[in-house]
Amino acid sequence: MKHLKSFNKKAKMLDAAVSQGDVEEVVAMQSVVGCTSVNDPGWEVDPFGGLGSLCQPMESDLYGCADACWWPAQVPDTMSTHPNWSQDVAKADEDWRKIDAVFPESE
Amino acid sequence: MKFKQMVNPAKGLGAVMTGLVLMGTGLSVQAATDEYLLTVTRPNQLHVIDTKTDKLLRSCDVPGTFGNGGIASSPDGKVAYVMTNKWEDVYGFNISDCKIVFSMKQSTPMEQVKSIISMTVSADGKELYTVQNPVKLHKDHFEAIQPRLAVYKTDDGLNAQPVRTYPVDRRITKLGFIEKTSEVILGGGDIKAIDTTNGKVRTLAKLQNWDRSPEGWVPPDAFAMHTMGEHIGEYIMPYFTIKWNGEPGDMEKAEFLWGMTKVDTKTGDVTTGEVLPFEFIVFNWVTDPNDEDIVYGSFNQLSKHNIKEGKTLAVHPMPHTYYNINMLEDGSKIYVGGTSSDISIHDPKTLKKIGSIKLAGDMSTSDLRIAKVQR
Repeated sequence: MKHLKSFNKKAKMLDAAVSQGDVEEVVAMQSVVGCTSVNDPGWEVDPFGGLGSLCQPMESDLYGCADACWWPAQVPDTMSTHPNWSQDVAKADEDWRKIDAVFPESE
Repeated sequence: MKFKQMVNPAKGLGAVMTGLVLMGTGLSVQAATDEYLLTVTRPNQLHVIDTKTDKLLRSCDVPGTFGNGGIASSPDGKVAYVMTNKWEDVYGFNISDCKIVFSMKQSTPMEQVKSIISMTVSADGKELYTVQNPVKLHKDHFEAIQPRLAVYKTDDGLNAQPVRTYPVDRRITKLGFIEKTSEVILGGGDIKAIDTTNGKVRTLAKLQNWDRSPEGWVPPDAFAMHTMGEHIGEYIMPYFTIKWNGEPGDMEKAEFLWGMTKVDTKTGDVTTGEVLPFEFIVFNWVTDPNDEDIVYGSFNQLSKHNIKEGKTLAVHPMPHTYYNINMLEDGSKIYVGGTSSDISIHDPKTLKKIGSIKLAGDMSTSDLRIAKVQR
């Protein structure tokens, strides 16, 4: 941490928590605030630095990663905020063209 | 002389006669059990597959939105408990007619509760366990609450409520049940066991908190997701580690290793240690029921290994990723599933594909379990 500088408010809070030994109070929140709080960007590269050991093809793995919040940035959060995002598409590898993006709800 | 003392001629004859009688009827002792393959697919259906014919027998509609499709069977195999509705609710299905015989909802208007796969059933079938991750929904903020093991009575039927709860660690995902001690196995950062009568927790095997020197080893990374091993009464937690044979970080001398912690779900006996060189990713493993040294793994390939000798015996490339794997009790067939919408069937001797079962939707994170039903 000594080579890293806290940039935003959240990072400064975490830095302070580490300094005070309060880091135990930081707990996983993915079960309520959605996949975006999961610090797991998905597997862009495999453990060997390549692509061969990633799940493949992407369509086969789509729901397995989305449902478990593995790809929080790339797909809607089916666990909390968009549970019905892909309910009409039972097979991602056959009907991936039918899977749509999600948009903010109009007020 | 010793051999003679061990053999009772009358009993031996009885065994021979029993065998002859069974041969005459076309039955064997093993054939008295029917094995059914269970999995869940989108949009949200529990599928029951006859392993004799590998045909889909029936599909049961599961209430709620899909997720995660976890399955735990009653010990008699007749009821399948399914995790559904965004990892929150559980429904118990009679697998012979899809009748719902049990249900419970974990969330309330004031408290959202998710179970991250974690579900199992007691050896007598009377209790169902989940690890609950509750969050209080205040008007202006959320409050993460201590996770807990929740105990339900299976004969409470529909809309069951927990009869006991006990505090447990965070990050628990993979449960099992030890018959001898009536403990639930808590698989997460470490592997622990909780007494289901008083909540007392003991450690079975350390992973995240293991005692090995960081100069010599990298702390293990365990893939604690699906539970299987019901074909032989085993709970497997695989892990990956690196042994530094030189300076930490010196990849030239490092060994990449698979380790496994195995728990005998009848006795609670635990074995743990490194078993294989890490050559490729494997999501899940099962042990061959006829040879405890042989394991099979699924992912982008189906693989066969001897963990006593630390050798990979065979690798069969797969057309896509399969998260999950299971076997019949007699070891005659391997089923590889999860992820997409087809279950691939393989010969354990050669790993050659011998069949396929097409399903109506993707299995995603669902379990692939075997239910054994006595005739």
